[in-house]
Amino acid sequence: MASIDITAAPPAREKTVSARIWHLALGSTEFRIGLVVFVLLLAAAVLYPWLSGIDPLKMNIRDKLTPPLFLGESWSWAHPLGTDQLGRDMLARSLVGLRYSLLIGISTTILMVLVGAVIGLLSGYYGGKVDTVLMRLTDAQLSIPMIILAITILGVSRPTIPAIIIVLGLAGWPVYARVMRSTVMAERKKEYVRGAMVLGATDMRIMFGLILPLVLPPMCFVAVLDIARMMIFESVLGFLGLGVQPPTPTFGNIIADGRKYLMNAWWIATMPGVFLVLTLTSINLMGAALERARNTIYGGA
Amino acid sequence: MFILRFLARRLFQGAIIVFLVSALIFTLLRVVPGDPVRLMAGGMAPEALIDQIATEMGLRDPIYVQFGRYMGGVVHGDFGESFVRPANGAAVGGASFNDSTRSERAKVLDLIAQTAPKTIQLALLAMVFALIIAVPIGVWGGLNPGKLPDRLALYLSSVFVSLPNFWLGIVLALLLSVKLNLVPAIGYKGFAYTILPAFVLAIEIAPFIIRNLSVSVAGVMGQTFIDIARVRGLTRNQIVFRHAMKNSAVPLLNLLGVQFSMLLGGVLVIEFIFDYPGLGLLTINAVMQRDFPLIQGIAIVTAAAFVLINIVVDLCATAIDPRLDY
Repeated sequence: MASIDITAAPPAREKTVSARIWHLALGSTEFRIGLVVFVLLLAAAVLYPWLSGIDPLKMNIRDKLTPPLFLGESWSWAHPLGTDQLGRDMLARSLVGLRYSLLIGISTTILMVLVGAVIGLLSGYYGGKVDTVLMRLTDAQLSIPMIILAITILGVSRPTIPAIIIVLGLAGWPVYARVMRSTVMAERKKEYVRGAMVLGATDMRIMFGLILPLVLPPMCFVAVLDIARMMIFESVLGFLGLGVQPPTPTFGNIIADGRKYLMNAWWIATMPGVFLVLTLTSINLMGAALERARNTIYGGA
Repeated sequence: MFILRFLARRLFQGAIIVFLVSALIFTLLRVVPGDPVRLMAGGMAPEALIDQIATEMGLRDPIYVQFGRYMGGVVHGDFGESFVRPANGAAVGGASFNDSTRSERAKVLDLIAQTAPKTIQLALLAMVFALIIAVPIGVWGGLNPGKLPDRLALYLSSVFVSLPNFWLGIVLALLLSVKLNLVPAIGYKGFAYTILPAFVLAIEIAPFIIRNLSVSVAGVMGQTFIDIARVRGLTRNQIVFRHAMKNSAVPLLNLLGVQFSMLLGGVLVIEFIFDYPGLGLLTINAVMQRDFPLIQGIAIVTAAAFVLINIVVDLCATAIDPRLDY
């Protein structure tokens, strides 16, 4: 009976903390603005290329370099954001780019949080030699700039979507490992962990059954900000030619491509960026609101 | 003697970190596919010659043997020679494998020493710009938590952090240097060429400073000694500038130490866009050309810089706030 009580109590309390954070964040203006913009963009990215039936890869040389709406002389309703040097529709390309960007940003962040959480958990739970070795590794990794690591690996091997996700995810875990370690170290001295130990629960069970579900959700709130950071990273890689390879449109490679035509067709390089900035701002506003709410709850509790 | 013990301990730890970094990068470069000799000798070179060159350069030895030899050189300050860059600075590239001019290769350390000052100049100017932008916004926000300035700080930092540096660079170059002709943008022919890249970099750093400052200023302003200062009859300006700002400087310093690698990442991309001849551009070219010694050299130097900057940051923090103990 006692073991049931112990395992049941912490998740129940945690649920209320997470729920309180959500509630507080949902109430703030920044979060709402971010959410509305994000949902609109997401809907556009999912629906527009499908509804309009425009193929982002279809070339139409006759319509090449059409300017966006109301600008220049030859604009048309068919291409609201104009076309690029090969007559491909910029709106469809930007929205497809947004899909890849979100896919990579979100999966990378999940991978990063998981790797960081597990390493931090092991390090904080076992302490001693395990801790020293893992933390020195973390320090070493923190002192190599992530971007050098990423471009080194992707520059010498072939950049595919899974490779990009793995490289970015593996480059970004150290911060999470550190945060996780310090929380776990505080957590493992608490009554419920000692109780579970006395009852003969295995280390695995305590770590993954008791501590992890308790400390992971607060970390995930902060991770929202990292989705935006990873999306920027992905586009930087694309810009350097180390991201998802053309002809697949991504923000990075569209902008890198459009840079060559900056003088006579400024919209190719700038329009996709506007989408990227809007998406990132909406994610960052939501992330900042969540982070604030989390700090308020933890500071107040 | 406290300071000596501190320095000795931190430098020793730093040496271990730098060693781990070099081991990591070294192994990584040799494990991933891509033969540098193929690039050096050119696509037309026969297979036997490639094997011969590789064996002469010791690239076919086991990794730990290569690493031992390399670290032996590094300890003596010899970072090796670039695979592809000639010493005289002439064009890089490898069309023919028996080109005699290619025997003179540039020393890695020289290449780094030539480009590093440009990058430091860029980074320092960017830091100045970032502080000019961020300090007023951050402090103002921190002094009025929950009110309009605080919201403004939150919105501004969310927008700044969402501006991808390469896009902002292109847009600003288009507006300020092509359309308005205010500042030069591409290449480097004098100090003016640093302004625009530094500004873009500053926009990238500013949101972190804003957030950090507004949180710490708000925290300090809630402390009892600020209330007491008010009772002591100090003016608001004295309280803000002599007490609040001084106490918020320590978290800001720590942030600068931690964000060093982000700064470097930004430098890399920005130097690439503006074709600014610094360490970042050198790194990108080294990676593109699979120039192993140069990549290793840059990784070691930046890791060492990271370690040293963090030591300096901690020393400065103790100087500002004597209560801190490392």
